[in-house]
Amino acid sequence: MITIHDITKRYEMGSNIVMAVDGISLDIQEGEFVAIVGPSGSGKSTLMNIIGCLDVVTSGTYVLNKIPIQEYDQDELADIRNQQIGFIFQQFNLLPSFTAIENVMMPMTYAKVTKKQREIKAAELLKLVGLEDRMDHKPTELSGGQQQRVSIARALANSPAIILADEPTGALDSKTGKEVLSLLKKLNNDGKTVIVITHDHEVARFANRVITLKDGKVLTDLPMEEAYV
Amino acid sequence: MFKEYFAIAFRSVVAHKIRALLTTLGVVIGVASVILLMSLGNSARTEAANQIRSIGSNLIYVSISDRQGALPRTWLDEIQDKAEITAFSEMISGQTSYLVDGSNVDVSISGVNQYYGFVSSLDMTGGRFLNEFDVQHNLPAVVLGSKIPDLLFPNQEVLGNTLYIKGMPFTVVGIVEPRGTNFSGDNDMMIYIPIDFARTMFPMGGRFKTYYITAASEENIDLTMNRITTYLQRYLPSSNQSRIFSQSQILGVLDTLMALLTTLLSGIASISLIVGGIGIMNIMLVTVRERTREIGIRKALGARRRQILIQFLIEAVIITTLGGIFGLIISYIGAQLITSITDFNVVLGWDAVLLSLVFSITIGVIFGIYPAMQASKLEPVEALRFE
Repeated sequence: MITIHDITKRYEMGSNIVMAVDGISLDIQEGEFVAIVGPSGSGKSTLMNIIGCLDVVTSGTYVLNKIPIQEYDQDELADIRNQQIGFIFQQFNLLPSFTAIENVMMPMTYAKVTKKQREIKAAELLKLVGLEDRMDHKPTELSGGQQQRVSIARALANSPAIILADEPTGALDSKTGKEVLSLLKKLNNDGKTVIVITHDHEVARFANRVITLKDGKVLTDLPMEEAYV
Repeated sequence: MFKEYFAIAFRSVVAHKIRALLTTLGVVIGVASVILLMSLGNSARTEAANQIRSIGSNLIYVSISDRQGALPRTWLDEIQDKAEITAFSEMISGQTSYLVDGSNVDVSISGVNQYYGFVSSLDMTGGRFLNEFDVQHNLPAVVLGSKIPDLLFPNQEVLGNTLYIKGMPFTVVGIVEPRGTNFSGDNDMMIYIPIDFARTMFPMGGRFKTYYITAASEENIDLTMNRITTYLQRYLPSSNQSRIFSQSQILGVLDTLMALLTTLLSGIASISLIVGGIGIMNIMLVTVRERTREIGIRKALGARRRQILIQFLIEAVIITTLGGIFGLIISYIGAQLITSITDFNVVLGWDAVLLSLVFSITIGVIFGIYPAMQASKLEPVEALRFE
């Protein structure tokens, strides 16, 4: 599903050249639950941006579902993000002036789904994450855990193959964090490929496979049981 | 999809009601002043055209400077048939003043013949105009402009009463209907006397002799004017000794002048539209910056550049269009106000409605495009990082 071969990402900050990602290769199969861990500055955010098609590589190749991503332009990448990837962010990134259901409907708007269908699908998804009675609430009227569940529903809107979660529990207390992770686990059990980026090993324990990054390189790439013996 | 953009843009305008209102104030003022000035100008043109047309569009003025007396005194009688002239009157003008309530009031005196009433399409509210008998026998009869009776004969019977002009008693024989003011002054403050009286009263009469002539038909007015010109050239070879122009020429000049004035004033007023547009651009730039994160989220979730561009462009256009509508309402109120206060009838046509919408939408597009482009060009990674 995801084939990354020897990718690099170079930033120039004044006269400093930073290799945020420095020759990473990895394969992720459909249905995997992968945790990418590492301290800050290890390049995990950059790697997530590349996998999420938000950023492009400096060199190397990235193939997502047989699509050679580096050959696509900004607008085509927007379509790929819209169709193939469901994003879950640490700060939820819901639009504050829109209700829960409107937030969930938003990716479908860009996919040109009709209004009627959007409403049906969004309501279904909010029910799936247990928020059927909070559909018309705005984000500020919801707790952190509820907001993150709205964003999970939003991530599922266009039925993407991959769920990409960046520190999904970072802004939550440990109890609601666990609930969110259980929800991700459930989605994985239903067949979604889930990739979680985190610095928290407690979070990584929910995954089946743990990839550890350091200085823009892969340090270890192990099944979860072997990573935490 | 367009419906979605409108919904999104409308939502964000409503979320910042006060800001949108203040932002669009420039457009409101701009549209209101342009529309009001244009309507005012157009109404003035119509009014002037109607007023002049009511005097008669086959009217010709001739003004002659003939100090040597080269021109026969009866020259118009000679060419009357050949030049297809229905009627004419010479006019000798002068001024006198009367003491009314302790202050001097100027009254214009016009010495004319019996045809002047016809030539100038004067209607009478009472009595009659000067007749052939008055003029030929030089009888002291006077016809008054409509404002004169109240001024000089308050609460008195006017017809048959005596008016002293330069110490000479005249009998009032008629009163003219109100005519309003035009380029020859306030017609309602004029009195008309037989021409020979005027000749003696104003022997210096001005350098110019003035004639009012009615051509037999409006279509052949050029022929009449040509014949008169040809005849006059025989006696007065110098071109600056005679001037001839028709009512419709005056109408044309006046119309051009007013159109120019209207365009000029509207042009000045439209500067405020541009100022309003700059205000819109400023606020839209602030809005784009404030909503960088929203733009990042939308892009991350699949918005194309064009979709972001259109969203913000529509937002700008909604703000300016609301401004245009408010401006239109204000100019409508202004027009009603002017119509009720003055005797000037200001009409807001459909063209004004259309124009204000076109103006406001255009301003929105012109000044909204740059901020919208800024928004569409944001990199999703950078935009998401924005706090």
